[in-house]
Amino acid sequence: MKKIRGIGVVAFAGVAALALSGCQQGSASNGSDGDEGGAVTLQFQSLSDQPATQDAVKSIVDEWNGENEDVQVEIVQAGWDGTFDKLITQFTGGTAPDIIHYEASSIVSFASDGYLADLTDHIDDDLKADISEGIWDSVTQDGEIIAYPSTLQSYMVFANADLLEAAGVEMPSGDTMTWEELREIAQATTTGGNYGLGWGLGSPTATMMSLSLGFDGGYFEGEGTDASIEVGDAELAVPELIHEMTYTDESVEPTSLTQSGSEVLASFYGGKVAMTVQGSFQATNIANDAPEGLNWVALPPLEGSAGAIQAANPQTYSVNIDSEYVEESAEFLNFFTSGENLAQIAYADALIPSSDSARAEVETLAADNPAWTQVLASGDGLEGPPFLKVEKYTEWKDTIATPAFQQYLADQITREELATQLTDGWTDIAD
Amino acid sequence: MNFKRPWYATVLMYTALTAFLLFLGFPLLWLLSASFKSSAELNSLAVNLLPAVWDFSNYGSALERQNLLPAAGNSLMVSLATMIITVLLSMPMAYALARLKGRLRAAGTIWILTSQVFPSILIIIPLFLVLRSIGLNDTLLGLILVYVTFTLPFTLWMLQGYVAAIPVELEEAGEMDGASRITILRTIILPLLAPGLVATAMFTFVSAWNEFFLALVLLQSPELYTLPIALRSFLGAEGQTQLGPLAAGAILATIPSLIIFTILQKKLTGGMLAGAVKG
Repeated sequence: MKKIRGIGVVAFAGVAALALSGCQQGSASNGSDGDEGGAVTLQFQSLSDQPATQDAVKSIVDEWNGENEDVQVEIVQAGWDGTFDKLITQFTGGTAPDIIHYEASSIVSFASDGYLADLTDHIDDDLKADISEGIWDSVTQDGEIIAYPSTLQSYMVFANADLLEAAGVEMPSGDTMTWEELREIAQATTTGGNYGLGWGLGSPTATMMSLSLGFDGGYFEGEGTDASIEVGDAELAVPELIHEMTYTDESVEPTSLTQSGSEVLASFYGGKVAMTVQGSFQATNIANDAPEGLNWVALPPLEGSAGAIQAANPQTYSVNIDSEYVEESAEFLNFFTSGENLAQIAYADALIPSSDSARAEVETLAADNPAWTQVLASGDGLEGPPFLKVEKYTEWKDTIATPAFQQYLADQITREELATQLTDGWTDIAD
Repeated sequence: MNFKRPWYATVLMYTALTAFLLFLGFPLLWLLSASFKSSAELNSLAVNLLPAVWDFSNYGSALERQNLLPAAGNSLMVSLATMIITVLLSMPMAYALARLKGRLRAAGTIWILTSQVFPSILIIIPLFLVLRSIGLNDTLLGLILVYVTFTLPFTLWMLQGYVAAIPVELEEAGEMDGASRITILRTIILPLLAPGLVATAMFTFVSAWNEFFLALVLLQSPELYTLPIALRSFLGAEGQTQLGPLAAGAILATIPSLIIFTILQKKLTGGMLAGAVKG
């Protein structure tokens, strides 16, 4: 009994102490504030997760803070996982930070709900001219620019040069590579239990939506709640090609279609697949993790009937419309996304910077990694896709498109059934 | 009545037990193995439990980055407080639920079951607004209150089963000896309830220790982040995962849980024996 009484006393003492210490409130909950000296502090919620990127962001913010005593920026580090739910709560509860780091496809609904400031008149003219229309289009909603686009990824084909050479394949050397060339190389390098291509399509929708633009397959027309869907030959070209390569040519490793991109890399490193399609950011991971002696290269960007076009879904920096310091936040972002600064962030994250001047900087920084040349070249074909402006796109993607594409890639449904599922599913959601 | 178990039944029993232990333990072993592998080895086709080259840098990375140690401190504080408050509140409430008769008990039971139906995602925004209005958003105390609120219905349900299993005759015997209600609770019920209390404490601690979503949404300041949030920071954009540091961080994160379990497990056994003797 003494023991139990003892535990009770310790428990009460513990609760009291914890309750007092637990009252400590964080500093990032109340938005920006002006201190007694008149300086304002902007809260900048950053999602950068790589240590090198975090260092780059901190260095840029430190430089700004050193030069701008009246407008100080405080980094509030957060993670990508669960960010959407966190932001919904922050906006609804009125505690969202001044500057919000996220991505174009995910901020559409926040813009529709009126949580993001219109930055059209705040963006530097030089910066506007430095970024392509296609990328600006990806962050424009109802005629308003709702974010600064920062870095992007494209889909690249990485190849084991030795396996291609052993199969007698000539390495593609043009500015772009056609799908037909990819198909031929995959067939030529499929030998004795090894496959020509490994493609992590466990979550296939983003890839399909992006690469279909190369065939003029936009899937959606219109914006917001008025958008309509069209699934025709152009939209089905990419899934059909992958399906044929897998089941007719048998040159795509079928298991890889159920895996993530990163999971397929092990097969690429082990020589089980001669090529793999990956996000461009994997160039750095491959450089770090590939076994010594693996002679790998990045092939030219894939070109469809409409060109080497892919979807631009950039990471973004937006400003909270309820911030008292929209203008100051935009001034900071003009500095933060300048060519030199954006290049540092893009290089650390192994992503393509949105501006031309930053791309030129990255070319210099990455001069010793030839894969970067192809990665940066793929940035030229990035355009704002129609789905970025469709309000219920995420719901359609998760509940309709992903399972439908998965079934088609697993050869469980036909091309026509895929088109019907995608179209009818959208009709159900839109109604 | 002295049954002799056939030999094949014993073999089957131990086979099943071994399979179960392997099923439970293998992921943990794999996690431990991954925490000592380099990024290159983790991304290779080789499947080996023992790392080809032991790489201890993942532990350094896990501790240096993402504020893992302060986050562990926050998690420990929140989990212990949630555990203690929940157990203290559950004890008398569960006793009342188990022993009281009438409509109040029925209403209480129905309310407990109903409260379990709502998923937290549905009430997160109202909850956030309530906490904000009382100045407890972005505080560990606010998070503790939320955890207690969410855990209490289940622990009550669990504990009242333990109370119901204690024969009322024991209390009546105490009453006949002239003991007051408080004395009966303290000297008869509490020792017999110890295994239930320990089980409740373990459940509450683990629930709070592992909880991610509510902490993610309710805590805004990085210095208040709990361990699950810090660990999720190793999962980046575009599905990039820093597997080695994540595995090392996850291994480190299990240590406090193991210590708490070791301490409480002794009480669990002790409580059972106490109940058996007095019952």
